Order: sequence, then C-alpha cells, then structure tokens
Amino acid sequence: QDGGGLRAAMAGQARRLLCRGFCVPAGPPSTRQLREADEAAPVFQYAGKAARRKDRVFVWGFSYSGALGIPSFVKPDAGWKKPRRIQPTPYRLETEDKISSAACGYGFTLLASNTRDITKVWGMGLNKDSQLGFQRSRRDQTKAYEYVLEPSPIPLPLEKPQQTRVLQVSCGRAHSLVLTDSEGVFTMGNNSYGQCGRKVVEDEIYSGSHLIHQLKEFDSRVVQVVCGQDHSLFRTKKGSVYACGWGADGQTGLGHYNITSVPTKLQGDIAGVNIIQVSSYGDCCLAVSDEGDVFGWGNSEYLQLASVTETTQVNVPRHLPFKIGKVKEAACGGTGNIVLTEEGNVFVWGYGILGKGPNLTETAEPEMIPPSLFGCSDFSPDTRVAHVRCGLSQFAALTNRGELFVWGKNLRGCLGTGRMEDQYFPWRVTVPGEVVDVACGVDHMVSMVRSFT
Amino acid sequence: LNAAPQRAPRQQVRFLPSPAPEGGGAVELVAASVPVLADHPLVRGPRFRKLKIGAGHRLDVKASGVFVLGIGHGNKLLTDLYNCHLTKVYTVGGLFGKATDDFSDTGNLIEKTTFDHITREKLERILAVIQGTNQKALLMYSNIDMKTQEAYELAVKGLIRPMGKSPPIITAIRCLQFALPEFQLEIHCLHETQQYLRKVVHEIGLELKSSAVCTQVRRTRDGVFTVDDALPRTQWNLQSVREAIRNCQLKVQTELEKTLA
Repeated sequence: QDGGGLRAAMAGQARRLLCRGFCVPAGPPSTRQLREADEAAPVFQYAGKAARRKDRVFVWGFSYSGALGIPSFVKPDAGWKKPRRIQPTPYRLETEDKISSAACGYGFTLLASNTRDITKVWGMGLNKDSQLGFQRSRRDQTKAYEYVLEPSPIPLPLEKPQQTRVLQVSCGRAHSLVLTDSEGVFTMGNNSYGQCGRKVVEDEIYSGSHLIHQLKEFDSRVVQVVCGQDHSLFRTKKGSVYACGWGADGQTGLGHYNITSVPTKLQGDIAGVNIIQVSSYGDCCLAVSDEGDVFGWGNSEYLQLASVTETTQVNVPRHLPFKIGKVKEAACGGTGNIVLTEEGNVFVWGYGILGKGPNLTETAEPEMIPPSLFGCSDFSPDTRVAHVRCGLSQFAALTNRGELFVWGKNLRGCLGTGRMEDQYFPWRVTVPGEVVDVACGVDHMVSMVRSFT
Repeated sequence: LNAAPQRAPRQQVRFLPSPAPEGGGAVELVAASVPVLADHPLVRGPRFRKLKIGAGHRLDVKASGVFVLGIGHGNKLLTDLYNCHLTKVYTVGGLFGKATDDFSDTGNLIEKTTFDHITREKLERILAVIQGTNQKALLMYSNIDMKTQEAYELAVKGLIRPMGKSPPIITAIRCLQFALPEFQLEIHCLHETQQYLRKVVHEIGLELKSSAVCTQVRRTRDGVFTVDDALPRTQWNLQSVREAIRNCQLKVQTELEKTLA
C-alpha cells in the first residue's frame, strides 16, 4: 500500500536514491538532535542588567474639564475616536520629565518636576481664574485659554530659574500654590477671599490675568503648602502654621470669621508645638505634631471636631484627644477625615461613606478600618498602609507593597475601579506598576507610579 | 477485602419441632433463635464484587501530588466537597531563560532570553500584583452585592469566595526559593487546571522581560487533604487505605458542616 503511494508521489531520481539508501527520510528528532537545536538557538535580550524602573503618571476620572491632560478625550483627533467623558480606569499620561509632585484641584491639575530646567510646573484643566497662570491662546495673542486640555508649562517669575527647584504644588477650588526651595511660595488664581496671600482688589477680573504673587515673609523656610477650598495653609520648618483666605467657617484658625489676605501665624492649641504635617481640602483642617497629636479647626458641621466641641465652626486650633496611638499622617476631606498611626492602622471619622460598610455613615470618634481589607493576611503579615490621602468625598490609602486602595463616593468615575457605583469599603485599583503617590481631587485622581522592572 | 471477617449472620426466631420432654412421640414447638440461611456465606457469595471509585479534582499527566479518591459513599461526599469550593495548594517550579509552546520544559522551544537582570525583589513585586488582581477577581465573581454591610463583614474576615463556576483564581502566591535560573512558587488557587498554572509561570517570565517555563507542578493540598494524609506508592494496600479513610472522616465531616451549613 505504502510502496504504491511512494511510487506515485515521488519523481524518478528521488525514488531511486531512496530505494538505494543514499538518503534517509526525517523521523521524530532524537534527544541529541533536540539538545543541539536547543543550544544553537539564538538568545534574545529584552532588558539589560542596568535596566532602570521607569516613572510614569496615571490619571482617571472626569475628563471634559481637561483635568486629565489628554486632549483626545475632549476633542478627538482621529475619526474613529469618540469623546470620552469619564475615564473609569487608570490611563497613562505621557510626560517628558519625571513628575515628583502632583495636585488635583476642583477641575484642574498641577504637575511639578524636581528639575533645574526652566520649565518646572505644568498645568491642565479649568483656567477661568488663571489658576494655571496665563496660557496664551494661539488664535488670539492677547487672550488666554479658559480650558487647558494638555499639560502646558506654567511660567513662574523666578529670580534664578536654573537653580531653584520646585518642591511641592497644591490646588484649591480656584487657586494654586507652588512651593520652591529658595524663593518662597508662588500663588496664582482667584483672590476674592485673599487666598493667594495678597490684598483683595474689588471687581478684579481673574480670567486671563498674568499676576503671580510671591510670598516670602515667614518665620522660617516654608516646607509644606496646602490649599483648602478657598483658603491656604503654609507650614514652616520651625513647626508653625500660617493661614490666609476665607474664614467664615473658621478654617483660617486665626480666632475670627473674617477673610485674611496676608498669611498670619496660627495660635491656639498649636502655639509652640512643632507641627510636622498639615492637611485640608474642604473647609476643615487637621495638623499633626511631632509627638503624634492631632489638632483640628474649621468646619465641624459633619462631626469632624465634635469630639471636643458642639459648635459647628471652630476658628482656633483645638487638640483632638484621641486614644488611638501616635499619629503619623492625617488627611482631610470635605466631610470626612482619615489618620494613619505609627503602627500602620487607619482611622476614619466624620460623615459620608467612611469605609466600614453602608451602615457607618457618621461618627465623631475615630473608627479603625481592619488591616485585612488592605491586603494584610497570614500570608503576608508585613503589609501595612504607608500613606493616606483624601479627595472631596473619597479616600485613598497606599500600602508599603505599592498597592492603591480607594473608597468613598464614586463621583464621575473618580475612584478608578472601573465601575460607576460608590465603594463602601477599601477596594484595590489595578495600576500597572507600584504606586508611589496619589493626588485626589473632586472628580479625578492623579497617581505617580514606578514600573515593575 | 472479601477475606476479612464478615458480619455475623442475622438471627431469626423460628418455631422448631422438638420431641416433648415427657417422651412418647408427641411433638411440640419450641422457639429457637437460628441463623438465617440466606446470610450464609456459601449462599450469599463474596460481599464485594466491584467497588465504585470516583476521583476528585483532576491532576494531569505531567503533574504530581495529592489526588483524592472516593469509594462508595465517599462519592457523594466528593460532590459535596466540590461544592465547598476549597482552595488547593501547589508547589510550582520554574526555569528562566526559555519559552516553549506548551509552557513546560518538554515542549518545542520558541525563544531563549537572558535573565541575569532578574532579582528576587522584582519577582516578589510581580507576585504581589498577581495576588492583588486575583483578589479583585475573587470579590467580583463571588456574586455578592458590594453595597451591603454583609459584604463588608465577609471581606473583613476574608471569607468571600466564589461559590459557583468561575475562571481560575489565585488566592495567594509567594516565592519559596529563588536561585537563578530556577525558582519555586507556592500557589493557592481555586477552579484551576495545571496547564493554567504553567501559563502563569510563562506570563511571569514575560512580565519580567524575559521568559520562563514550568518544570514541576505538585499539588500539596486539596481542600482538607494534605501530603501527610496522602498514601505514597509503597502504601497502596488495603490496610493503609482503610486507616486513611478512618483518619480523615472526622475532618471531612467538620469541613462540610462548616461550609454548607
């Protein structure tokens, strides 16, 4: 049978060679042949020994304000692309420089790099009050853009632009602060309540304004700047806190409910205390001292300060006597507050979705969130929370393994979980990298991530 | 098994005729307990002619480890154990530098790559991310409404598990040994196949900008049965099997009661 097929398939000469045993048909490869083929195969190299981990920026949330910095979401540049109102999962934002600090305001974002180049700060999003500086419009050289759709450099009036470094940026509702290492603090944006640290000018038009104010008069070098909704807080190296801006809820902490247009030092329970961290985003403020005590002032309508007082506005910093251990970091949101202790435990209080299920909506005393929700288990007992951050009605926690957990109200997809529903307990956000820092805004978030390899 | 001592035959009460105590030929009935003839071994024959043996979770040809079998009534317990959706633990060995078509070291070579840039730290970072994404999948496939307080309570205790069909989920993964080019992982998983685990090793290689093949897959635990309970090849005899069944009865019962209650 086989011989007949063989004869039919092959031409005369080949058949003669086969029948005489001059050539042998190939069979299954022997072990030696396999080994030789294996060793002869070329070796590819995808990463060398000196391969460095790359730093990346991921954004997610509401995009129509331009705050995500991706213009094709708002104005598609290809026919097949559709405008994307909400980016529900982390999306990579390509930046040329390594971004060391980011801040999210109410509809706009600031990115800052630690470099000595001329361009140190980029901004995107709403610019109706010049919170991103003057962005010259290309169509009309005298007018400015009201919406900036991609990260655009913000020109700062630095004396030594090639030596000064930008340490940190912070954004509020319609103003922003830039902290430098040797030239003080630069403020820009809306100043109707003196939040930029300069005198309030009646009927000032903020849109298209070139004015960037510089603040240098503090008792020592400023090491942290924080923006509340319409007020600004400055923390100096000596451990004192200065404030300016709107004070109707007592958020300036200066003992009155009026606006302040010049940064003034806070007294009250923090006088003489070495404060190592301040935080604010809405109308309530928290400060942490080097001994691990927490001080608060500002709005208390949502029980943020109800542990010490029944009044809904507190205009002098008060010590909050919590028995939760030494506090390392605190973050304030619009209606809820969160602190992180030295042991790595996370405590929340206030009003809203606090992270302990739908039943806990308000509490005046801090409640601990169990560490098992952050990935701590018998399998990995060393996992603990390293940083906590707050948006207006969301919370974010970063673990020492580089994972990001979010919970709270999912306003326009700002949680980044991929779903549009509110999240009542900490939920992991899938980011392709180790999350180093995150900035939370009202309806969007920005994270700084290092790649794995 | 048939040679083992049998149950004693049933007894029955029969009224048998026996000569009367006075003598004389009168016959009276006396109650006596006699064995039932139907229970006699010669009538009944061997007790066991065939045994129903069922297998638990599949283990393919190239893998080794704990393989659960059920005998007789154990088959029903096997079905119940399957519905408990307990995790299995595997020890997976891998080798960096090669990529093959069926992800194991006996397949056709596709590519060879360098691996000297890989460190234990990088591997552990990748493993942490795998665990994180699978943790999310665990919560999503468990079909619990995330908005309830009950979901929060279960999530705190770590008891959320998919109780129905789901794609393979890895609940925990960690590196046991790392000696370039070889490494060994311990993987706790649900609803998986051994080929899926080999694919995971291949993907870890890709993620580390190199390539990896799987050299060994060994199941060390299947629900409540661990390597200590398992019988090695030398102990595949009647005595050991009976002892093993006796030892694990209590464990299986408590586990079933806890999960299916």
